[in-house]
Amino acid sequence: METQLVLEKWPGAVSTVSIGAKKEEGGTRSCSIKIGGESALPLLFKEGSIPNKPKIAFEVWDIAPCDWPEELLAAYGEEINDPLAWADKCVNKYKAELLCVKMQGAHPDFGNKGTGESAKFISRLLSRVNVPLVIIGSDDDTKDNLIMPAVSEAAKKERCIIGCAVQDNYKTLAASALADGHSLIAQSPIDINIAKQLNILISDMGLAFERIVMDPTIGALGYGLEYAYSIMERARLAALSGDKTLACAFICFIGQEAWKTKEAKSSIEQGIVWEAVTASSLIQAGADLLVMRHPKAIEKVNNFIEILYSTPRL
Amino acid sequence: MQKFKVTFLPDNLTIITEKDKTILSAAISAGIYINSTCGGDGICGKCKVVVSKGDVISQPNGIITASERKNNVYLACLASIQGDLEVVIPDSSRLNFDKLTPEELAERLSGLYSKAEDIRPQKAKFEDKVFKHSPFATKLYLELPEPTLSDSISDLERLYRALRKFEEFPVIQTGLFNIRQLGRLLRDYEWKVTVTLGKRNNTVEIVLIEPGDTSQKNFGLCFDIGTTTISGQLVNLNSKKILGTKAAYNQQAAFGSDVITRILHAAKTEGLKQLHNAVSDTMNQIIKELILEHNVDLNNVNCIVCSGNTTMIHLLLNMDPAHIRKEPYVATANFLPVIRAAEAEININSRGLLSCVPGVSSYVGGDTTAGVLSSGIYQKDVPCILIDIGTNGEIVFGNKDFLVACAASAGPAFEGSGVTSGMRASSGAIQKVSINKGDFSVKYSTIADKKPRGICGSGYIDLLSEMLEAGIIDKSGKIKVGGSRIRQSDSGREFVVCFKEEAGGNRDIVINESDIENLKRSKGAIYSAASILVKHLGLDFSVIHKFYIAGGFGTYLDVDKAIKIGLLPDLERSKFVFIGNSSLAGAREILLSAQAMDMAEKLVSKITYFELSVDPGYMEEYSQALFFPHTDLTKFPTVKFNG
Repeated sequence: METQLVLEKWPGAVSTVSIGAKKEEGGTRSCSIKIGGESALPLLFKEGSIPNKPKIAFEVWDIAPCDWPEELLAAYGEEINDPLAWADKCVNKYKAELLCVKMQGAHPDFGNKGTGESAKFISRLLSRVNVPLVIIGSDDDTKDNLIMPAVSEAAKKERCIIGCAVQDNYKTLAASALADGHSLIAQSPIDINIAKQLNILISDMGLAFERIVMDPTIGALGYGLEYAYSIMERARLAALSGDKTLACAFICFIGQEAWKTKEAKSSIEQGIVWEAVTASSLIQAGADLLVMRHPKAIEKVNNFIEILYSTPRL
Repeated sequence: MQKFKVTFLPDNLTIITEKDKTILSAAISAGIYINSTCGGDGICGKCKVVVSKGDVISQPNGIITASERKNNVYLACLASIQGDLEVVIPDSSRLNFDKLTPEELAERLSGLYSKAEDIRPQKAKFEDKVFKHSPFATKLYLELPEPTLSDSISDLERLYRALRKFEEFPVIQTGLFNIRQLGRLLRDYEWKVTVTLGKRNNTVEIVLIEPGDTSQKNFGLCFDIGTTTISGQLVNLNSKKILGTKAAYNQQAAFGSDVITRILHAAKTEGLKQLHNAVSDTMNQIIKELILEHNVDLNNVNCIVCSGNTTMIHLLLNMDPAHIRKEPYVATANFLPVIRAAEAEININSRGLLSCVPGVSSYVGGDTTAGVLSSGIYQKDVPCILIDIGTNGEIVFGNKDFLVACAASAGPAFEGSGVTSGMRASSGAIQKVSINKGDFSVKYSTIADKKPRGICGSGYIDLLSEMLEAGIIDKSGKIKVGGSRIRQSDSGREFVVCFKEEAGGNRDIVINESDIENLKRSKGAIYSAASILVKHLGLDFSVIHKFYIAGGFGTYLDVDKAIKIGLLPDLERSKFVFIGNSSLAGAREILLSAQAMDMAEKLVSKITYFELSVDPGYMEEYSQALFFPHTDLTKFPTVKFNG
């Protein structure tokens, strides 16, 4: 006897964010990638529309990474010491669809690069690779408030995602995103109320909810992943129930969390699995854009996404 | 023990004190009250003094800046006396114990009597409840028939027989003191005496027997003993007429601004006695002024009814409040028997009676019972809410069928404590604010139109709402950059409400980001407590018919602005009724009617106390309320900011 599935119908939907502007849209990217847009919980294809697959962005820095395990660095070979070549390798060798550039070199403790230098780096990166970009600051609020407006302007009309705005420091970034046509990452500390408050504050600045991507802050497998999972689940349930202030796509910084763990540092095989499992778990919580580090982990997760999205659908 | 001379300036008061005593405790002994919100823990920084001569040792602290240290500024609570001293106490560190001016008082009590009714015409309060006039102390003039051989019952029984002709009292009690003089008194004064009866439930006590007819001279007092303010009212018990009302600050403030700090102080040596003296002194002072101004003989003031939170009543009666603070939060007594006022060291007729309005629990006291009584929500067919916006933020929800109460630990921010330029609602407090959206210039009005000295609760509500409207702060309370009134401070950015040149003081009147954080927590606590209380019964705010706002600000409250900042829920504005001091009003009803006291006792057993901290949803609800107006904007559909 055939079982009748009980289907939930949701009044709300997550907004769709386009990353990258093609020539006809005023940019120079080879393609434009869409994330978000779901009107159902993750993978429950029959309950609503899930128009876009989760996407993975390769994480690259504007300097050679300083705290990545040796064996992770080795995955990129010599090119890791030349950020532009590194980015190029991600795109051409590993077929990255997206890059997430972290302006770590601007941090006072890691090179303290100036505004001009940071902006120039982005210009050169844009001419070297043609995939859509996510650009995030150095994690130093004061410094980011100086460089990010210039960095954002250097990528004007390229329709990037820039970040990360936090509750105590969101205005400069929001103003830049607004001025230069980017979307904005709103980062909250595993707290659904702050996530929502930050989205409201940003939208009060004039940036539409549709141009906000939420970073719920995640923990790696074994390091609080379940907290992130449940916060994402709650936010998504609220969004689908019609709460516009939470109806934003999720970005998850998988690589930076997974490669901090002692398990990942102790063996490269374990590290790859650790990163891949963290990513695939959060895909089930609703992650739309994953920022990852190891090409092999990314390959595994991409395969996983393919399987999820091609098996006969319930 | 070495002793030293300490001279306080500009008072020029000198006292002898022991080595190692703090300047704060020396000042209290000298009768000078210094601000000490934290109760002497060295945290609040309100007790700065200048040591102009002599040696002190002070514990290091983060409050005194380097330049202040150079100028010999110390925290009075941390500086211990090491030699003869001269100490200058600046005005900003003093507790202002001036009595409220008549205008302030009129303002403060406006919700009850006249003014606020002009603005908010609802007279919902006393509309449908009339207690039978039967005052707590009743005087009866008796002309007894002389005994004869055929009518030879005893003097006392003769007296009882005459009394029972007035009313069928089932039990009459008389103290030996009165019985001893009865025989002489009746015979010396031709069997004509006035008897003062004290009433409680079905029992009456003969309090006093006086010669002749004094029955026209029967007065009583009702008191609201607040953590911050003590208000007292003199009432003619025969005519029900209010002769006068006075308010003064609770001098216990010198030992800490909230009940918890005071409970902690009570545990110190002499602490309980100090706290008791502070409250009884304040009350006696008020009583003295009331009877002098209204030409009433203290001997004709026969009774007093006190309403206050559980801790205040404990301290009044010199009972140790320690267990109120400790789990499972149990008071020594919520129902107290009628006692002699003299036992609490309150000066009225030496045999006069004192009664306390019964409380519900350790954190929902007699002031709440009195509020329920005077607001009349216990008689309504439809659900209503009573909120007392004070440090303890008591909330009662219900109608004639049910009543639930909770206490929201809102903190003292809306009473002007724990905020940089905060002050109580007394003269010179900024209470209304409007801000120009273009240049951020500020227009304000102060209580009694005095030069501004600080900002009181209603001023903060106005200020926050105006700052949101003008875009000076965002919805999380962060101050934006720019303009001559915005600058960086040690506690985040600050906005200057009034420059010192204009204020005439020595400091600018400001609000900084950490003040806003405090106020946000206070308003969040009150809103979320009310919300969770209503939700606990499976209901929401939309079912509420009337919203009674009591106490706290005392004077003026802009409901619309209070909604804009999310202190009150976004309901139709006409549902809000500002009722002023409901605790004092309830105490007066009890003073005038034994029926009201019976009702108060019934109410206590009817009110269910709901402990917020055990509700799993409370923290979530509270964090959502930490935003202006609220994280869930759909709960505040009419609130829009143009800034």
